[in-house]
Amino acid sequence: MSRKKAAKGKPATSSPSAGSPTGKGSGKAARGSPGIVQMNGVVHPSRPSISNSSEFYDIAFKVMLVGDSGVGKTCLLVRFKDGAFLAGSFISTVGIDFRNKVLNIDGVKVKLQIWDTAGQERFRSVTHAYYRDAHALLLLYDVTNKTSFDNIQAWLTEIHEYAQQDVVLMLLGNKADATHERVVKREDGERLAKEFGVPFMETSARSGLNVELAFTAVAKELKHRSMKDPCEKFKLQEYVNKEMKSTGCCRT
Amino acid sequence: MEKKNKATDRTRSPVDGRAKDRVDSVDPYGFERSKDFDYESYEELMSEYLVVLTRRSIKWSKLLKGKRKVQKNVKLKRYVRKGIPNEHRALIWMAASGAQDQLEKNPGYYQSLLRAEHDPKLVETICTDLNRTFPDNVQFRKTSNPCLQKALYNVLLATGYHNPVVGYCQGMNFIAGYLLIITKDEEKSFWLMEALLARILPDYYSPVMLGLKTDQEVLGELVKVKIPGVWQTMMDHNVMWTLVVSRWFICLYIDVLPVETVLRIWDCLFYEGSKILFRVALTLIQHNQALIQQAQSLPDVCQSFKQITHGPFVDECHTFMQKIFAEPGSLSMATLTKLRATFRARIITEELGPTDPES
Repeated sequence: MSRKKAAKGKPATSSPSAGSPTGKGSGKAARGSPGIVQMNGVVHPSRPSISNSSEFYDIAFKVMLVGDSGVGKTCLLVRFKDGAFLAGSFISTVGIDFRNKVLNIDGVKVKLQIWDTAGQERFRSVTHAYYRDAHALLLLYDVTNKTSFDNIQAWLTEIHEYAQQDVVLMLLGNKADATHERVVKREDGERLAKEFGVPFMETSARSGLNVELAFTAVAKELKHRSMKDPCEKFKLQEYVNKEMKSTGCCRT
Repeated sequence: MEKKNKATDRTRSPVDGRAKDRVDSVDPYGFERSKDFDYESYEELMSEYLVVLTRRSIKWSKLLKGKRKVQKNVKLKRYVRKGIPNEHRALIWMAASGAQDQLEKNPGYYQSLLRAEHDPKLVETICTDLNRTFPDNVQFRKTSNPCLQKALYNVLLATGYHNPVVGYCQGMNFIAGYLLIITKDEEKSFWLMEALLARILPDYYSPVMLGLKTDQEVLGELVKVKIPGVWQTMMDHNVMWTLVVSRWFICLYIDVLPVETVLRIWDCLFYEGSKILFRVALTLIQHNQALIQQAQSLPDVCQSFKQITHGPFVDECHTFMQKIFAEPGSLSMATLTKLRATFRARIITEELGPTDPES
């Protein structure tokens, strides 16, 4: 009783229960999975839910940003969420944090709950526990940092071990705007992605290159999967290739 | 907020002007105040707190009488709990934590650490975080003189070299940064880091982070006993304690609570040890239990844990510090030691396997 009352009076900063719009995911059902949506996607597109920030959404998914320390996970997220890049204003992420953003994907409001994680190895035991509930993982490396690229394989092994089998995965080579400092060629990224059968693109949180696209592509894939619409075929990499902007032009 | 016209403003006493014009946009520690900083409330708060600070300052001057040595005793402990004036912080932190003894016993040691050959991996890890440590603090800007960024690098490098098992762990950058702001001295900052890593928070920052994980679970157990409603909420939504409190413990409340409040907590941390971290956490949780229990989902819970670290309750550091010793009730060292042993053993079994003889 008190809960209901309380929920109403909650301040706007509070995030809504993303579990399921019908309330199915709350209470006991949520126990089995700390995730925001049941893994198999309880989808109720016909019943929009309302969040406290008065943002409607139809379906919600959990996305995680992973990759070495300093590759730009937080910057990418802030660029996507707020459209901003303030050079030198970011602090290293300790532990784990999340932000929400609702996207309109072909008329469906898709809420992404994006978890930002600390890149340093010793924090992984914290993040592992949350891998299994992620619907999508964006794995980042920094094109100006060879080590972060070399570590991708280890990251993939880890993801394979802890994440859901059908998790949507995308490899992102970030800081693509840094032409002069670049040490990882775009082709190297492509080759690696191909080898592991993972969609790939280069991004830049600084210029905004492909940032929106990366999240949109993931949201489209997740939406497509959850709707199970047979007439609509969606191929993540094809979509990405079609929409992607190459890095040559930028540094605006 | 005030939409009065200039004419009425001029007739009012000077105190009625805009607080924003009177309060510096950079705080006494070099941090730029955020855009939405509430100058009015701050000024109001400070007008009261300054009285406290002045009173404490006089008492401390009498106590120290220019002495550079202090003895730990009941009176000093009481004084510390009421806040160390900033001008004496370095002295008391150094003395109370044993860092001063170590410094005196090991002359030149810090410098020798800096001269040693360093692991390039350690250097790289530290460098990754240099620009990401307090970009909002003017003292850490490359253009400032002296620039604390170089000092930060040195302290972290020396700490990592001195403590190869720990090396560098994110979070240590913020702690070393605060130490430099307060002590304005690399060597003292190093020895205070050493006191934290070796004695006050053992195993917090090592790769397995066993000390940290243990304390997070111990906090969970204390909440279960003292604030069962919140514990139930955590269970209902399957929230691991690490998700909501790891930053509290790793960063010792830096960037979680207001600077002034953090420093008051650290006064006790260096004097009394890590128990204070639990008192702070329990007070925050207990004081806001109704809010936390409203959470309907895991993200809700996370959000509420962020929310409770803001607002007048934590801004009013003097009152807050009184509350942490009263609100959570008794918390004996014996209880803590026992709980730590229990959870430590449990974590070792779970994570490292029952046969692992580690520690």
